[in-house]
Amino acid sequence: MAEVKLVDVEKRYGSFLAVPKQSLTIEEGEFLVLLGPSGCGKTTTMRMIAGLEEITAGDLMIGGERVNDKPPKDRDIAMVFQNYGLYPHMTVAENIGYPLKLRGFNRQAREARVAETAEKVELGKLLKRRPSELSGGQRQRVALARAIVRTPKLFLMDEPLSNLDAKLRVTMRAELKHLHHELGVTTVYVTHDQMEAMTLASRVAVMRKGRIVQLDTPKMIYSEPANLFVASFIGSPPMNLIDGVISQGTFTAPGVNLPVSAADRGNVVLGIRPEELDLVPADGEGLFSGLLYALELTGESTLVTLREGTTVVCARGGADFDAPIGTRCALVPKAGARLHLFDKDSGERV
Amino acid sequence: MRDRPLSYLLLVPAFLIVLATTLYPLAYSFVIAFREWDLTKQNRPGTFVGLDNFTYAFTEPGFLNSLWVTTIFVVTSVVLTLFIAMSLALLLRRTGRMHTFTRIILILPFAMSPALIGVSYRFMFNPEFGVIAKGLGAIFPALQGVPWLASPDLSMAILVLTDVWHWSPYMTFMCLGGLASVPRETEEAARIDGASGFRIFFGIVLPQMKGVLMVVAVLKTIFALKMFDQVVTLTGGGPGNSTETLAYFIFNVGFKWYDMGYASALAWILTGIMMLISIWYVRMLLSERKVATA
Ligand SMILES: Nc1ncnc2c1ncn2[C@@H]1O[C@H](COP(=O)(O)OP(=O)(O)O)[C@@H](O)[C@H]1O
Ligand SMILES: [Mg+2]
Repeated sequence: MAEVKLVDVEKRYGSFLAVPKQSLTIEEGEFLVLLGPSGCGKTTTMRMIAGLEEITAGDLMIGGERVNDKPPKDRDIAMVFQNYGLYPHMTVAENIGYPLKLRGFNRQAREARVAETAEKVELGKLLKRRPSELSGGQRQRVALARAIVRTPKLFLMDEPLSNLDAKLRVTMRAELKHLHHELGVTTVYVTHDQMEAMTLASRVAVMRKGRIVQLDTPKMIYSEPANLFVASFIGSPPMNLIDGVISQGTFTAPGVNLPVSAADRGNVVLGIRPEELDLVPADGEGLFSGLLYALELTGESTLVTLREGTTVVCARGGADFDAPIGTRCALVPKAGARLHLFDKDSGERV
Repeated sequence: MRDRPLSYLLLVPAFLIVLATTLYPLAYSFVIAFREWDLTKQNRPGTFVGLDNFTYAFTEPGFLNSLWVTTIFVVTSVVLTLFIAMSLALLLRRTGRMHTFTRIILILPFAMSPALIGVSYRFMFNPEFGVIAKGLGAIFPALQGVPWLASPDLSMAILVLTDVWHWSPYMTFMCLGGLASVPRETEEAARIDGASGFRIFFGIVLPQMKGVLMVVAVLKTIFALKMFDQVVTLTGGGPGNSTETLAYFIFNVGFKWYDMGYASALAWILTGIMMLISIWYVRMLLSERKVATA
């Protein structure tokens, strides 16, 4: 258990700036998720913390100690690699037990620990196999098991659930959450899946082009996105983002007329989550009115897409909502719905 | 394929050439291995003698000596080549201008003809004017005037040296290829799991290179078993018969003593040894395949 601190850390590959100078403090016992699209520098950041990638500039502190020049093996960390990094010449059991072996656990202690951990990731029956005889999802679980087989100061997990099927992913997520609760080990977790980030994190760092664009609790990231990028990245279906203008306290766009309490300005983007819109009869006081464009039943609800001119808005309706495509419908924000306004050019929250 | 008859027809010339240059001599040598045929006395194979040529070999000091010489040569040159190739590969693994340049000049020894290598080393180890002999003598006075190629042990050592020098670069490239196929993540995972550099190499990298190292070892063994060129141009099998390898001995039996039957039998013994090694190797490879494709 330790606090991890990045102070003005920067990473360059030759002249390519992968992670620009920035600071980040991961508190002791925290579950921090690095969230962002592919190629935004999540893995690079994590590898710097692990000591696998040299830090071009800045300081990395783990538990108050500067570790820039400390080799990975002395940092007391465990890591799940994006591409697993399993030892192909060892069985599943040997793979999982390797960190214990290196740290001098005797055979008996090792076997007990390995069996217990394998049970957690549902690999109990595969202990004698080699990685080449496993599916992608099974390999990933071996990688996960190898990381959680001992209790290090810090867990680093690079998309550890990306290759699991939906059901197993939910199970493993719960398992990780429980493990974190049980051990309280500081964890840095990389994912491009916002659902994973929201459910697991105590704080989420949303990254874009190497930069952390927002660092906050999942709740705040969801309810107060700092900019258009975060707003569009978090939530499924994503937040409705409507280009328009504000004049005399009203936001207008094709099909939209919405009173807002903001100063007049052009070039503004209004954001509202599909969950915070209600469908109303077409001639009601719809703040957005449009033609029904698509209906998607998700099971517990129906995603309703309306369209008017260039404006497309999605709302979440009841599971029993049904109407012919092309019908005129209207939407109103629910009571207490949060409206988000962003500057169209800078993308920043207004 | 409508043109099937034609395609077979087109293969005929190639097949005939292979037949005439390879299969026929091979079969012919097999036939005469069971006959008595002294080329100084008769110009066609003599009487059938059964396995006499083969059984004779194992009582004849010349053959037994060459078998021993070959064993020593094969073991030392294979072990040394493997060790040097692997070490060089580890050094040259990283990329960069220096490494690329070094890789390029490494090709040179392999580009040289083995016969020529023998000749040049013969000169370089000449106690009167050889650059290596003189150089060593200048650095270590104790080595002044050592008659390198006149000593059985030293000339064997030099023979091994020329072969290792010739083959190491090529085998280095094979090892580099093998190293490149070891996933980086496995090493990185081991670093994080807490392994020392030493353990990572022996516990993680080397086991994953088993397949490549086997290929290198077997190829090198087979090439070493055939060692001939440098024996001719460097030591002439001497001093005495201390560097008389199997291939060189067979050559002598056939083309100095003109004992065609015996030489053919010896050649088939050599072939048999190589075949055994190849079969063993293929079986190992097949059982390794499952593991290697992880
Ligand atoms: N070894 C490397 N050399 C050069 N560029 C790299 C290297 N590793 C990663 N990059 C670049 O750095 C950026 C961030 O990569 P990465 O951290 O792997 O992204 P992510 O994990 O978020 O998908 C990418 O643009 C990638 O191409
Ligand atoms: Mg990545």
